[in-house]
Amino acid sequence: MENSREKIIVAENVKKDYKEEDIVVRAVRGIDLTVRAGEFAAIVGPSGSGKTTFLNVISGLDTPTDGKVWLHNKLLSEMSGKELSDFRRDHIGFIFQAYNLIPVLTVEENIEYVMLLQGISRQERHHRVMEILAEIGMEGMEKRFPPKISGGQQQRVAIARAMVSQPDLILADEPTANLDQQTGAELLDMMRELNRKTGMTFLFSTHDPMVMERADRVITLKDGKVETDQRKNQH
Amino acid sequence: MWFDLKLAWRNIFRNKRRTFIAGTAIGVGLASMIFTDALMIGMKDNMIRSATKSFLGEAQIHREGFRLTQDVKKTISNLKALISRLEKEDSVERFALRTVSFGMITSPASVSSVMVYGIQPSSEKYLSQIDDVIKEGDYFAGDGEREIVIGSDIAELLEVRIGDRTVITVTRAESGDLAQEMFRISGIYNFNVKEMDTGMAFVRLSKAQEMLGIGKDVHEIAIEFKDIHFASRAENPFWSEYSVHGNEAVSWTELLPQLNAMLGIFWISVMVMGFILFGIVAFGIINTLFMSLYERLFEFGVIRAIGTRPSGTRRLILLEAGALSLLSIGLGVVLGFILTLIFVKTGIDYRGIEIAGTSIHEMIYPVIHAQQYIIYPLAVFVFTLLIGLYPATVASKMSISKALRKSL
Repeated sequence: MENSREKIIVAENVKKDYKEEDIVVRAVRGIDLTVRAGEFAAIVGPSGSGKTTFLNVISGLDTPTDGKVWLHNKLLSEMSGKELSDFRRDHIGFIFQAYNLIPVLTVEENIEYVMLLQGISRQERHHRVMEILAEIGMEGMEKRFPPKISGGQQQRVAIARAMVSQPDLILADEPTANLDQQTGAELLDMMRELNRKTGMTFLFSTHDPMVMERADRVITLKDGKVETDQRKNQH
Repeated sequence: MWFDLKLAWRNIFRNKRRTFIAGTAIGVGLASMIFTDALMIGMKDNMIRSATKSFLGEAQIHREGFRLTQDVKKTISNLKALISRLEKEDSVERFALRTVSFGMITSPASVSSVMVYGIQPSSEKYLSQIDDVIKEGDYFAGDGEREIVIGSDIAELLEVRIGDRTVITVTRAESGDLAQEMFRISGIYNFNVKEMDTGMAFVRLSKAQEMLGIGKDVHEIAIEFKDIHFASRAENPFWSEYSVHGNEAVSWTELLPQLNAMLGIFWISVMVMGFILFGIVAFGIINTLFMSLYERLFEFGVIRAIGTRPSGTRRLILLEAGALSLLSIGLGVVLGFILTLIFVKTGIDYRGIEIAGTSIHEMIYPVIHAQQYIIYPLAVFVFTLLIGLYPATVASKMSISKALRKSL
């Protein structure tokens, strides 16, 4: 059952080195990883273990020093900058720690941004925004600007923006880091629910135990390598 | 595009104080350009007027070679036909006939060389300003043929006053003999230009013609056009149409090459000033856009991460530069117009100052032209976009992962 699902991410011996003031930092030291459609997985590990770097490499935000990454069966290293932008736009949703909304755009405008890049009609955009706002429990807040809503609500909007264009994969880098425990738990439950309902793949980079509790797969990184890869339960 | 415009417009108001400072700097730069242009046009017109209205005229007709040799035999040919044609010429406001000859002026105390001009006081009164700068006596008020009007400096040299006698000596055209006549000083003028106040003497045209033995002929026709800029245009057919039968028609630009060159330098100085102002503006824009970019680095990282192409990021920065530019242009145009209008009403007093051999007699009034409010704002807009290309390119080429770590 597990192996029959489509491979969303395939990373093969991915390495990433940084050069900082003549010192080479080996952030990722050869990771092999496959993530399949519908997974709700978390990459965990201490600070400096290479979680964010690996997430950046597999999403095409950064290029690997060595190794190959296939996203949706497409080899990222063969894509131009423009193609990568379009690929991310159409296939990946991003959720970051905080401040990831554009403060001069309203909640509605923030959510519809990706759809605008995709060239979706105004009517369709509005329809989808209203639908997802209802889903995340923020009806009636579409005209508010981010600074006028709480941190938890801002992250909900970020989740809505990541999901509204119906991507195959949601990458979330420490999405609960700046939230209190209750709000974090609510958001994680919401994402888990959305994962179950829509079948979208979620991959977290985190060291939040709440994420680990809810994830059905936990990949532990240590010193830029996969230390353990545990599957807990399947839906 | 509309969404990007909205985003750019809102972004420039995120830091109102910075936008206000940058916008004001650009606006003041633009206002300075508009005002300087208006002032330069006013000053140029004033200098042309001062130079041509004093005595020269905006154009002159001579016999070919006369200007070079000052040979009194070289009188204008076909004079009657020429006068008749000039009287019918639409572009010509007025003209005056003159004789021009080297001569000596002698008083009991001293002697000096002068250019002796034979003029028609009635027509010269409107074409030149000799009558306006009479310091003592009057301007050919009587009927006497022996009236002479001289400059204040030469009067001082000759130690003569109104009513005193002087003797003018000139060379007759045909024989080359010397002709001498006694004149009484009827007027002393002061143009405040050394060459004019020391080197010119005016007598009646008929008397000068008689002394020179040239009958009814003249050496010079000074012309004033209806449009002050007419004579500045080298492409006018007027010059070729009147440079016939051995005569030559020349503009003040040829008669006063030093003034023409000076006006050319004026525009070079305006351009240099423009480059300096635009340079300041450029650094202002680059600074503002980079500050804004670095402040929002994480945001740009997010925008790129979620699928905005590099060209989209570039467009966003350029739109912000354009929005800043439009704000600044609005401010600059209003400031420039108000500033110019104030001086259009009050004028700038440079009277009495001599520039390039031209004495300024009138207040300088800046001249408002529509093009000042089209060309300069357009230049600022285009320039801002060009300057904005630099931060826009930096933003489009930045590393997304580094931007997401909030540093480049």
